[in-house]
Formats: sequence, C-alpha cells, structure tokens
Amino acid sequence: MEVPLILAQNLSKTFTVAQKDPGLAGTLKHFISRRYLRIAAVRDVSFELQSGEIVGFLGPNGAGKTTTLKMLSGLVRPSEGRVRVLGFEPFRRCAEFLRQITLVMGNKQQLIWDLPVLDSLRINAAVYQIDGHTAKERAREFAALLGLQEILTQPVRKLSLGQRMKAELMASLFHLPKVLFLDEPTLGLDVNAQLAVRDFLKTYRDRYGATILLTSHYMADIEALAERVIVLHRGGILYDGALRGLTDKFSPFREVDLELADDVAAQALAGYGEARKTQRRRYRILVHRQGLMQALAEIMARFDVRDLAVKEPPLDEIIAKVFSEGEV
Amino acid sequence: MLWALRKALTLVSVYFAYMMEYRGEILFWMLSGVAPFFFMSAWSEAARRGLTPYQANDYARYFFAVFVARQLVIVWAHWNLSEDIRSGKLSFRLLQPIDPVWVYLADHLGERGVRLPMMFAITLVFFWLYPHALVWPGAAGACLGALLAALAFGVNFLVSYSIGLLSLWLEDATEIFDLWYVATLFFSGMLAPLSLYPQAVLQVIAWTPFPYLVYAPAGLWSGMEVDWRRGLLALLFWNLFFLLLSRWLWRAGRRHYSAMGA
Repeated sequence: MEVPLILAQNLSKTFTVAQKDPGLAGTLKHFISRRYLRIAAVRDVSFELQSGEIVGFLGPNGAGKTTTLKMLSGLVRPSEGRVRVLGFEPFRRCAEFLRQITLVMGNKQQLIWDLPVLDSLRINAAVYQIDGHTAKERAREFAALLGLQEILTQPVRKLSLGQRMKAELMASLFHLPKVLFLDEPTLGLDVNAQLAVRDFLKTYRDRYGATILLTSHYMADIEALAERVIVLHRGGILYDGALRGLTDKFSPFREVDLELADDVAAQALAGYGEARKTQRRRYRILVHRQGLMQALAEIMARFDVRDLAVKEPPLDEIIAKVFSEGEV
Repeated sequence: MLWALRKALTLVSVYFAYMMEYRGEILFWMLSGVAPFFFMSAWSEAARRGLTPYQANDYARYFFAVFVARQLVIVWAHWNLSEDIRSGKLSFRLLQPIDPVWVYLADHLGERGVRLPMMFAITLVFFWLYPHALVWPGAAGACLGALLAALAFGVNFLVSYSIGLLSLWLEDATEIFDLWYVATLFFSGMLAPLSLYPQAVLQVIAWTPFPYLVYAPAGLWSGMEVDWRRGLLALLFWNLFFLLLSRWLWRAGRRHYSAMGA
C-alpha cells in the first residue's frame, strides 16, 4: 500500500480565547477576573493525501480549514492527534521538510513591501540554497507563466493586488516545493487574475508533480483545480471524496431547463418536481435523480418541447445548502 | 559553510537596500539620539567651574564616544518581533528553513550600513566644532572599543529579541524593553562617566551587563581608565546568557504561537 504523502490522524486544535464584555464595567471585570473560552477550531479530523493529488478544502468561515493548514505546515502545534507530511512531523520545522513545502496565504504576503520582487526572490534563492544561474532561469520561467516580466524590478507597494498575488505565488513556489498548501490564493482578485493564478497552479502541478491542498471561497477555483474535496464544518469532516460525488451526496436533484412551444402555467409541470417559470415559455424544474428519465419521457410525450437541458445544480448552491444544514 | 556565508551576505545586502528606503527616517532617528551632547554641555560647564575631576575636553571626548557607542548598539528586534507575532507575519519566517533570528539580525546589520556613513558625517561636524576633543585612542584602543561595542550590540540585540518573544505569551511585550533602556540610561555611563559613581553603586552594577554596554567602549575610545579584560569577559558571559535565554524562550514560546491573522 502506498504511503500517504500527507497524513492527518484524529487531528484536533483547541484555542483558549479571553472573553470580554463591552463598556467600562466589562473592562474592569476583564482586568480583575479574566474569563477564557476554549474554542475547538478542529475536532478529530483524519484524512490522507497521496502524491500528486489536488484536494479542495471546503467550509464556511471558522470551519477549521486554515487551522488545519497551519498544523500541516508546522505553524501551530496540534492539541491532539498525529500529522505527517512527507514523513516529517511539521511542527519540528526540520529544514528538509521546510524545503519541500509552501503555504500561500491570500490575505498575507511575504514579499518585502518597499523593495522590488527580485530582492525577495534573492532572499528565497539564498535561503533555499538555489544557485544564481538556476534562480535566474526560474525567475524568468515563472515570470513568463504569470505575465510578470515587466514588474519584477518595481517596488512591491507599487503593484496591483493581482500582480502582488502572482508575485507572492512566484516567491512561495520559487524553491519548487512538492507540497503546496494554498489558503485562499485568489482572494480579492478580479476574474482575469483568478484565471491566471489557476492556470499557473495547473501548469506547476503538471510540470513538477506537486501535491496541492487548497482552500477557496470561489467554487470556480475548486472546480478548476481539485478532483477531490474535503468538506469541513464546525471543525469536523462532513465529506471526503470526489468533487462530483459531492453533488450526488448532497443534492439528489437535477435541474431541467425547458423551452416549450406553448406558454403554460408552471403548475402544469409541478408533478415532475419543483417547477418555476423563468421567462415566457421557459421553465426550470428540480427533478429527483431517480425519477429523472421517467419525468423526461413524460414531459416529451405531453408537451411540445423546443429545447431541453439537464444540469447539475451549481456547486456553490449545494455547498451553501450543506453548510446551512450542517449535516450529511 | 559557503551557503551560510551566501545567506548572510544576501540577507544583509537586501536589508541594507530596504533600510536605504528609510534613510531619511534613520537620519532623524540619529538626530533624536543627541542626548549625550546635552549631558556633555552640562558636565563641561561643571568642569569649567572646577566641580568635577575631569576637564571640559575630557567630557567632550567621552560624551562623543558615548554617542557613537549608543548609535552602534541601538536595537528594535523586540518591536519587529512583537508586531510579526501579533499580525501573524511570523508565519512566513517559520515556513522558511532558516531560524527567524537571522532575519531580524540582518535587518539590524543592514541598517548599520546606512547609519555608519551618517555617523561619520556627524563625527566630522563634531570635531569641526570641538577640535580639542579630537584624540586618537590608538589602533588597539579603537579596535578593542569596537569589539566591545560589537559585543554590547550582541547583548542588546539578544535582550531585545528575548523581550519580543514574550509577545508569544503577552499581548504586546515591547514596553518591557523600556525598563531595560531606563536601567541602561542610569547604569551604562550615558548620564556621566561611571568613574564618578559611588563605589557601592559600582560594586553592585558590576554584576550586571549595564556598565559594559556603553561605558566600556566609550571609555576606551575617549582614553578613560577601563578594565577592558573584565568588560570583554562580562560581555561574552552576558551574550551567552541571553543567547541561551532567547533559545529557551523561542522553543517554549513557539507552542503558544497561534498564527492569528494569518
């Protein structure tokens, strides 16, 4: 059996957070007798990733995604459980381990604000022991992939958010890590920049065979990159499996878009599922998967159908539904 | 070994470039450190009235050396580290295969590269104004003073770094460094040459690092009587002490790091 590249066994993390009521009374009370709350950010999470996998980490804010990534990358120590990444215990910060991983945080940056990107790359080249020639070649390769050739000598503070994020990726991947932990890598970017980042990550994975664990609030990122998803909710795992399987598991419906020759009332279609009229002679029906074929046959027989399309409901709607219900 | 050297040179050169962006701020910071010149005026006046055992020129020489020594040992690692811990920026340093202390040290050394030429300019102005204060301490005195100043910087840096690490437990530990500064102000020879202090005070502070942080190098440069052997040993001891303390704090404190905000 193949040894997993990333292993999390019964992983938990609890933070102790001071509680304070507002106002002067709250401040004085907080000063005299401090109350603490123990918050379980991650509870008993177990999963494995094999080499070369791209896995999407899904969950609402506070689900424990980022905390899990921080434990996997060695930033924080698990309260309980066992973590192994590339055979290393991350919290020990073994140099050999750090040379093979990276963590990209969409809301933070490692680049030196007042200096050009190239200066940050110089530091990374030295720290990761990349010789001068290789560093130059790699900077050229990554800059071409990300379209950053013109801005590498400009101070980071002068770059747009999209340029900064691309440069951040460039710096984070400069040492060719085998394992990429990506926490909201497209946060706040416009559509073009999001596409560029996704393309870069795909190319990087194909070229260097990296294993990627990715969190994103943009379902398009997950759909474009991940084959497997792990859904976290309130610190625990709700689902771990194929992206398509998520739709089957959490949404037993298919969306049928219809265009009829005649204008009929939506109630005429209500017998097949939840139906509504979207435009004149156009309808959308949510039909249960199991009865889909029979419903389609009956609709075709009963109505003069001009156009018909069967779709899966949008993934973000399914995810939102899962999070609001919070159970499998 | 070669990689270690390359890492050190790259870090210092990049942080030198970074500090060059703040050259104006550094100049104003230096100018805000001219307190020794005010003490110089006061003590010189006292000397002119025959109230002290030293001459006015001795004070000019001494307090200029104090100014130089202070410029060389200024540190702010506590502030940077505390900020990085609270904002979660420390995470990036933890992700790299290098101990973060080297990055903070490079930040300081890079800044010295900007500060030193400015200090040289201030030196020229000082000796133009006070030509009688110009006395060459000899190559040995100058080098020994520089060595003691480097070791004093080491102590100051490690104390600052250790205090910064306390932010892993406390909300913000930066103000604790002010206590260290106050003790330095009174017991390091910044207010007056330590040879003027009561013997009882000297006997007590001799067991602390303070007399060696400013007075030892400044005294050597200005031709005062300084037990440099004792200063050297004391500074080596305190460097080792605060190095061990900072390593312990780092190991113990990392468990408390929650990488908040990152």
